[in-house]
Amino acid sequence: MVSDAEYRAVVEFLYKEARLADEARYADWLALWTDDGVYWVPATTDPGADPDKHLSHIYDNRGRLETRIKLLQTGHRYSQEPASLMRRLISNIEVAAADDGELVAESNFILAELAVQAKREMHWWVGRTTHRLRRVDGELKMCRKTVVLVNAAEPLPNLSFLI
Amino acid sequence: MSSLAPNASIDYKTLVQDDRIHASLYTDPRIFDDELERIFRRAWVFVGHDSEIPRQGDFVTRHVGTEPVIMVRGKGGAVSVLVNRCMHRGTMVCPAERGNARTFTCPYHGWTYDVSGELLGVPYPGGYAAFDKSAHGLTRAPRVSSYRGFVFASLSGTGMPLAEHLGSATRLIDRSCDLSPAGQVELTAGWVKHRCAANWKALPENDSDGYHLGFVHRALFSTVRSQYQRVVGDEKAIKAVVRDWGNGHMEIDWSPGYQGPFEWLGGASGSVVDDFVAALERRDGPETTRRRILEGPAHALIFPNLFLGETNIAIVQPVSVEECVHWHTPMFLKGVPEFNGRLLRMAEAGMGPASFLMPEDLTVASRNQLGLHARTVAWLELGRGLNRERVDSEGRTVSHVTDETTNRALWRHYRAVMTEA
Repeated sequence: MVSDAEYRAVVEFLYKEARLADEARYADWLALWTDDGVYWVPATTDPGADPDKHLSHIYDNRGRLETRIKLLQTGHRYSQEPASLMRRLISNIEVAAADDGELVAESNFILAELAVQAKREMHWWVGRTTHRLRRVDGELKMCRKTVVLVNAAEPLPNLSFLI
Repeated sequence: MSSLAPNASIDYKTLVQDDRIHASLYTDPRIFDDELERIFRRAWVFVGHDSEIPRQGDFVTRHVGTEPVIMVRGKGGAVSVLVNRCMHRGTMVCPAERGNARTFTCPYHGWTYDVSGELLGVPYPGGYAAFDKSAHGLTRAPRVSSYRGFVFASLSGTGMPLAEHLGSATRLIDRSCDLSPAGQVELTAGWVKHRCAANWKALPENDSDGYHLGFVHRALFSTVRSQYQRVVGDEKAIKAVVRDWGNGHMEIDWSPGYQGPFEWLGGASGSVVDDFVAALERRDGPETTRRRILEGPAHALIFPNLFLGETNIAIVQPVSVEECVHWHTPMFLKGVPEFNGRLLRMAEAGMGPASFLMPEDLTVASRNQLGLHARTVAWLELGRGLNRERVDSEGRTVSHVTDETTNRALWRHYRAVMTEA
């Protein structure tokens, strides 16, 4: 159990993170991460998936996360140039306190993406996200974000935006 | 069953010329149907790898063209490719992507097959006057053959053997497998599937296109140093080449541009690497080992659907005339499990929908597909490098890495396959 104040702080963090990702505000989004952050999008819905044994869509440490952002900022990441038009809804938010004082938030999302780079197709992305959050200098930061897509193992269109 | 003859109204000799091809080859559904018959039924198609199904009963489901199949290790250890369709009413018998099975049971009326496809039983057999179970086994790909664990199937009982189809391009597969001290690669990390809104031929053409890198991948090259940096500079300074291996197989060979070992791995050192090199030297001697670790694995396309993507293996799956799927998995080297973590991270960086390379390729491929619907201009250029390509001592055409020698290799073979008797 977490306090109402903590729950509210986590919800506000999740909403803000979603908005920054939706609006392709790359530097602001990157600033939400701790230096030891791990961004994981497995390529399977199997809860036993091991990123050290199984291929993932994304398994970024801080260095690779920065590369991901730099690519998007070049203006030549053609799969996101121009950036997809996106809005995501976050719901079913449950927050728990971990032993080390970090907070673990689980939530569901639906994301509508208009991929405007070629065929102008509407893509729907649905999944469950686990955020692990830590207070750094009084501010909540992400130290781990795991996104399990409902269709993680199916053929996916480009996923070069921030999910 | 589609007819064996190609669509009589389509003249492939006119559509595929030596220095240009017609846009309808990417957009005409009748041509796609012909390709399913002539390329994906009659000829050899890559299905999967031995290491994916090590034990009896292990299976993966795949497609040969658009035909759903089960690649399964049956009784006695032999690999079969079974058409994933009940002989009774046509129901797909196995919906799982992979697993281990003792039997495949159709959910509709309970017909049950063993892992070699033989029909074990039919509920309420009194409804048939005489029933020959042996005539109702799952249909098998009549020809299944493998090379160094790479399993290929043909849905036709006749045609050239796999060895003849691969020809000397087996050396491309060797180049990758021989990097393993055990001489084997292992595809055990699972596959990522990347959906592409383009005709399937865009993928083998792009996978073997050395001209696009500095443009399509400008974002990456301007951000991160990589082994590909040497192919985006001055035209005359670029040493990498493209090579036509015949039968539609072709490669990009980066190695003439490499200056030291392991550039294909982005550099490597440490005790694990020393042990790895020592193991190769024990098998191959120092000179061959030096060449292997300099050259690295192949960057090559085995016609029509297997891409040896350096440290990755990829499959091209046609879905419809305007849609295909690019599958990939890291190529683990048996005997050096310490490399696996790194190979995994390289696979995620290079290929797949969230990687740093392929999203750009598939964006451009789908923009090609849109552009090709223009008919005011109906032809695609195919002539780059005709002025400077040469034939090497083994009869293979070689040219500057930015030349369309690879595209021509694919299309020349395509024309032969689509017009042969």
